Amino acid sequence: MRIKRTTSTNLILNLFVGICALILVFPLAWIVIMSLKQQAEVMTWPPTVLFVPTLENFRVLFDVAQAGATSYGTIKVDFLTPIANSVVIALGSVIISLLFGVPAGYVLARRDIPLKEDIAFFILGFRFAPVLLVVIPLFSIFQAIGLYDTYVGMIWVYQVVTLPMIVWLSRSYIEDIPKDIEEAAAMDGAKPVRVVLHIVLPLLKPGLIGASLLIFLLAWHNFALGLILSSTKAPVTVALLKLLNPGVQFYPVMAAGLVVTMIIPVILIVIGQRHLERGLTFGAVK
Amino acid sequence: MDFQRSDAIVTLQSSTGQLASSKDEAVTVESRLDWWSIAALAPAITILLGFLLLFFYGVFQSLTDLKFGRPQVHFIGLDNYAALIKTGDFWNSVRATLVYAGSAVLAQAVFGLVLAKLFATEVILARVMRPVILLPLVLPPMSVALMWTTMMDPQNGIMNYLLSLAGIGRFAWISDPNTAMFSLVVIDVWTYTPFFALITFAGLQGINEEVREAARVNGAKAWATFWHIELPLIAPYILIAAVFRLIESLNQFDIIFGTTQGGPGNSTSVLSVRAYITAFQNLAFGRGAALMVVNWMIVLIGTVAMVKLWRFVRQRVS
Repeated sequence: MRIKRTTSTNLILNLFVGICALILVFPLAWIVIMSLKQQAEVMTWPPTVLFVPTLENFRVLFDVAQAGATSYGTIKVDFLTPIANSVVIALGSVIISLLFGVPAGYVLARRDIPLKEDIAFFILGFRFAPVLLVVIPLFSIFQAIGLYDTYVGMIWVYQVVTLPMIVWLSRSYIEDIPKDIEEAAAMDGAKPVRVVLHIVLPLLKPGLIGASLLIFLLAWHNFALGLILSSTKAPVTVALLKLLNPGVQFYPVMAAGLVVTMIIPVILIVIGQRHLERGLTFGAVK
Repeated sequence: MDFQRSDAIVTLQSSTGQLASSKDEAVTVESRLDWWSIAALAPAITILLGFLLLFFYGVFQSLTDLKFGRPQVHFIGLDNYAALIKTGDFWNSVRATLVYAGSAVLAQAVFGLVLAKLFATEVILARVMRPVILLPLVLPPMSVALMWTTMMDPQNGIMNYLLSLAGIGRFAWISDPNTAMFSLVVIDVWTYTPFFALITFAGLQGINEEVREAARVNGAKAWATFWHIELPLIAPYILIAAVFRLIESLNQFDIIFGTTQGGPGNSTSVLSVRAYITAFQNLAFGRGAALMVVNWMIVLIGTVAMVKLWRFVRQRVS
């Protein structure tokens, strides 16, 4: 697309791109600004742009000793536990998915097993499972067998989201590795397990890290599973909704909570933009 | 692609059948390798089959009068469905689901194309701003929902302020039944247009430069090149993105539950939100499951139709 453009078209195109970028960035910027304001400043009309930034809202979220006491009333917040819950559940889900998903991805990429494509599609199909229909029966079952509101139960049920993705992604990354390398090693007499451990796995590492970032993100996003299947082990997305008390709108505290949930994804973009693009578009972008 | 699931069971059965029969048919396949493969696939497939069983159990529950805490559960056949289709609320939910998903996906396809074309110009700002496209996609949908709830506050939200700068009076956004659905679609479009943009962008980059060159040499105008050459070539990409997005927005729960919870009134009460409220607030699990089964069937029909359209378009292109 190396067309010679006049300076004016160039300028206009840049302008349009800039507007689009602004639309995408502005809501986040506004929320960050709001999280640094005080309640009274948020409620004014027109909205203030000049103000003295305060970290009060973040203190309300995290100060366990004085939890709830704010300069503008009391709200009961415990934000640290949900964050810890989300981290534990998301990390646990990533580890379990890697253990179970990567071998499956390898087989689907390399071995000639019957109906390979059908199995692959069956697995990807769960990415679009009607989660609520699975969760309605699961609610009673979890309560009966004692998995309700436990990390183990949550990590297991999160596999419906993370496992299909890791199988699909690791398969696509393994297919990118030239098959000749494995064949050459096998010719030299290396056993299949050794080929996988010492040759495929090191080559696969960048891809696996990228895929792990993505499924960590998917686990971090999840809301419905935590809402229904947990209470004290609820993830941060559920805690976020509770910040929005009907009637009393502590918008700045909520904005602070939003900033906290959004920081991790934004950091992940910086680390692994290419991998996230590939994962989020199901491999359309390589 | 839920429709794959029922097929997939047949698939798994027949594949074990084939493995069994291959023993008799001499050594065409190295059976040792297959055992490795089965061992590697088994854990993942076992976990997912567990979910599949739960899914069927959910479908079964939709045929019962199960309520939370009720000791006796009766099989009542299709009574839940019969009761549902008699209520106006149910049809309102079906309509809300279709309007939400349909308008959101359509708008995203158009805006996504525009965004992709703009970023494909590779002007300096497009190259610098590329990572920004990803931004809405990596945020938790619940955070997106609450972020927009804050901004769409009719009293002191920034959106109304921006509108007032343009001389437009106060807009009620999600607090009015007439504008709530529109507001939700705006949120969905902001969040998922980048998904279309990324996939369309990949399609645009896949087009052979010589094709464009040939059109240009033959004197085609830029607009004609786009309309007659580029668009047909990227149409399959846009459609596959539409399939993915259609499935997810028909199932959308987080964004709607986080903003309106189906209200005001029941103006945004899509099937998934209604199912949640029926099952977990009114504790009528059987009825809630029935609503989800209806939602799932809509997803199924929509997906099959879109995949058919995609195959048709792809065939015409190639």
